[in-house]
Amino acid sequence: MRALRLAVRLRPAKLALAVLGLVVVLMAVGDTIAPYDPLHQDTTAILAGPSAEHWLGTDYVGRDVLSRLLAGSRLSVVAAAEAVGLGLLLGVLPGLASVYFGRVFEWLSLRVMDGLMALPFIIFAIAVAALLGNGLHQAMFAVGVLLAPTFYRVTRAAAIGLRQAQYVEAGTLFGATRWRIVRTHVWQKVLPTVVVTTATAMAGALLVVSSLTFLGIGVQPPAPTWGGMLASDLGYLTQRPFGPVAPALLIIVTVAALNALADAIRDATGDGAPASAAPLHEEVPDAISAAVRR
Amino acid sequence: MQSPLLSVDDLHVAAGGVDVVHGVSFDLAPGEAIGLVGESGSGKTLTCRAILGVPPPGVTVSGGAIRLAGEDVSRYSRRQWDRVRGPRVAAVFQDPASYLNPSLTVGRQLDEVLRVKNGLDRRAARTRAVELLASMGLHRPEHVHDQYPYELSGGMLQRVLIAIAVSGDPDLLVADEPTTALDVTVQAEVLDLIAALRAERRLSLLLVSHDLAVVAQLCDRVVVLRHGRVVESGPTRRVLDDPADPYTRQLVADHREYGLDRLVTR
Amino acid sequence: MRALHAVGRAALIAVPVLLISTFITFGLGALSDQNPAAAAMGETATQADIDRLNHEFGLDRPFLERYATWIGDAVTGDLGRSWFTHIPVAESIGQRLPVSLSIAALALLLAVVLGAAAGIGAALNAGGWFDRAVTAVSAALSTIPAFVAGIALIVVFSVLIPVFPAGGYVPPSQGVGPWLTYLMLPAVALSLDSAADLARQLRTGLVGTLRENYVTGAVVRGLGPRRVVFGHALRNGAGPAVAVLGLHVPRLIGGAVITETVFAMPGLGQLATTGALQGDVPVVQGTLLVAIALVLVSSVVVNVALARLRPGSGRTV
Repeated sequence: MRALRLAVRLRPAKLALAVLGLVVVLMAVGDTIAPYDPLHQDTTAILAGPSAEHWLGTDYVGRDVLSRLLAGSRLSVVAAAEAVGLGLLLGVLPGLASVYFGRVFEWLSLRVMDGLMALPFIIFAIAVAALLGNGLHQAMFAVGVLLAPTFYRVTRAAAIGLRQAQYVEAGTLFGATRWRIVRTHVWQKVLPTVVVTTATAMAGALLVVSSLTFLGIGVQPPAPTWGGMLASDLGYLTQRPFGPVAPALLIIVTVAALNALADAIRDATGDGAPASAAPLHEEVPDAISAAVRR
Repeated sequence: MQSPLLSVDDLHVAAGGVDVVHGVSFDLAPGEAIGLVGESGSGKTLTCRAILGVPPPGVTVSGGAIRLAGEDVSRYSRRQWDRVRGPRVAAVFQDPASYLNPSLTVGRQLDEVLRVKNGLDRRAARTRAVELLASMGLHRPEHVHDQYPYELSGGMLQRVLIAIAVSGDPDLLVADEPTTALDVTVQAEVLDLIAALRAERRLSLLLVSHDLAVVAQLCDRVVVLRHGRVVESGPTRRVLDDPADPYTRQLVADHREYGLDRLVTR
Repeated sequence: MRALHAVGRAALIAVPVLLISTFITFGLGALSDQNPAAAAMGETATQADIDRLNHEFGLDRPFLERYATWIGDAVTGDLGRSWFTHIPVAESIGQRLPVSLSIAALALLLAVVLGAAAGIGAALNAGGWFDRAVTAVSAALSTIPAFVAGIALIVVFSVLIPVFPAGGYVPPSQGVGPWLTYLMLPAVALSLDSAADLARQLRTGLVGTLRENYVTGAVVRGLGPRRVVFGHALRNGAGPAVAVLGLHVPRLIGGAVITETVFAMPGLGQLATTGALQGDVPVVQGTLLVAIALVLVSSVVVNVALARLRPGSGRTV
């Protein structure tokens, strides 16, 4: 916890938090401050450049780009948060359980997580969205499930490191229940790792949401999303080559802020493990690091 | 007197901009063996690294000269060094396992040197390598040739490194604590090997060690370093039997209990 | 022998992973309320149509039996037929796989070349201007999703300076030159993130390795700088980079799906997306299965490469 507070005091972290705060505010009150209805078509201004009426110009049917961006933010961020929340739930709890609740569960959960890791994000999300009804919630369910192994591995790694730690042992001697040990001691150590992973997973989920909505998966056409706006801009690049700049920048800046926040926390906690890079088989990097240490 | 093979003249070595070796001088005649002794932090390893042209990161030669066969090597470029290393000067170090590439067989690393430095082709290099390994007292040299460093013991690895070092037939062998990381019985064998090679090949030896017993066994003369300065130097017997400097006296006294007498009087 | 052993072990780990992931894939299809009649006829399908087509596609049999048949057929290269067009799924995939593989493979090649050059250069100049430039550029690139990079490349190299086509594809049989022309922008877009990550990993790995004693040892033996870096340091410093490359292969395969949509190329992504939007379960399942197989094969290849690179690491997978 101290480490988290320490991280927040660093300058890149402050900047990242400011950016993320802004995104959240836009998301929350975006539709009330939006100058136009995101679906309103102004036929007198089609594919217009930035002007006093339309700060970011209009799209191919004359809808206000700024208003659509503001409205699209909520959808994109909420969807990504949904996926990350599910990933947290499905990753952290089994991750802890795999260390403290017996070998059978450990073996089973490891195999399932390996299986999940072999599934390519985008194609799996497309498949789930399609097969379970074409909705963003379904697609995010898929993304959440695929995020679980990342949380599972980092939680498990942190918990394994602590299993032998003395104060946990002492706790067992004093007759503390396993669940109590997990709650009081382990959770405090695992938390920073989980926070770092959450930030990087959020960045990854935003990219996946943008990619899916870009493909038209999960949303019906008039509804504004970051990815969907890019897709519609793509058809009119010759008339409006700078059309994609605003949605693209919004995606890039948000993702960069999340990654910067993760880096800052990681630096502050001295946890060198890259949370974003979850290996297909954990043995690979282990074998390397073991060999390097030898 | 013959012109010296190695002449270290008022050598200053700086770590992070601060001098840690303050004007060390000594000469090494062809075929001679000198022991550089002192406790850790005395500057003996930095002196030795400077002589080899491989100072650790942040460490530089800040003054003086290191003359190898008359030429000052302390300002040598990498290209100039690569011509000298092998046929003129070679080295072995403490912790032999760390000085061999863990992902190549030891034979491949020996072959490489024979091919690059001696111009042998692949097949000739292998034959010569196996011969060299055999002459280092390694049993089943063909087998050893194809093993990875992690498959061999410390003593075997040090023999392999000595084989690599003498493969270019150097004039000078720099040995930095060559036996410190080895078991006592293996230590004696490796020291015997170095002594035999000296005799066979007229090899000059610069031996860095904190262990006076090792120095007593191998060296003609001793240079005692303390805090980056030479406190005493002279023939091994004279320095160890009748140390003039109080620091040397202390070193000798400390070593008596490790059986120094037995070695010196042997 | 060692390599063979490594292949065996990696394949052994891959089999249960394949079974679990395909089971999940197949289970999804079964969970969905999609059926061939609805896919082909929409709202007009009567219960009789549904039952008839369900029987024709074998959907009235128990779930486990269907999974066993599906996976058994898949091994022999039969992925069933599309509910919509009745074209064999394997045939559709066979037509589109070369497109996606071309993009992914060229992207991988570009990533390795660019990443290796940047990473090695940065490591050899650690702390210098090139090092700092590589760090800054790779940090920036890793926040740009492939499809955004693709759009940016189209804007710059097709619209503002028209040197590359904005989209489309010609097979290599119509000339390798045109083929590469159409592949270049999508492959570059897809490779940037991997190249950046590779450069970072390689830099870190090499900087560490260059401090190792055996590198000093190789220098003292009088081996030249090129030999020391490429023959000794890189072999050990590249391990983490190769492992990371293994993680990127699935991303490249998944990313190719998006990128080929940006560039309007007839690849697996198009097949999966159309299949998904039409509720064509066999097509979606087949595409996913092929993607999983590609991921697993590439992971086996990476593990074997790692084992060859560092025989001393003992455990190979």
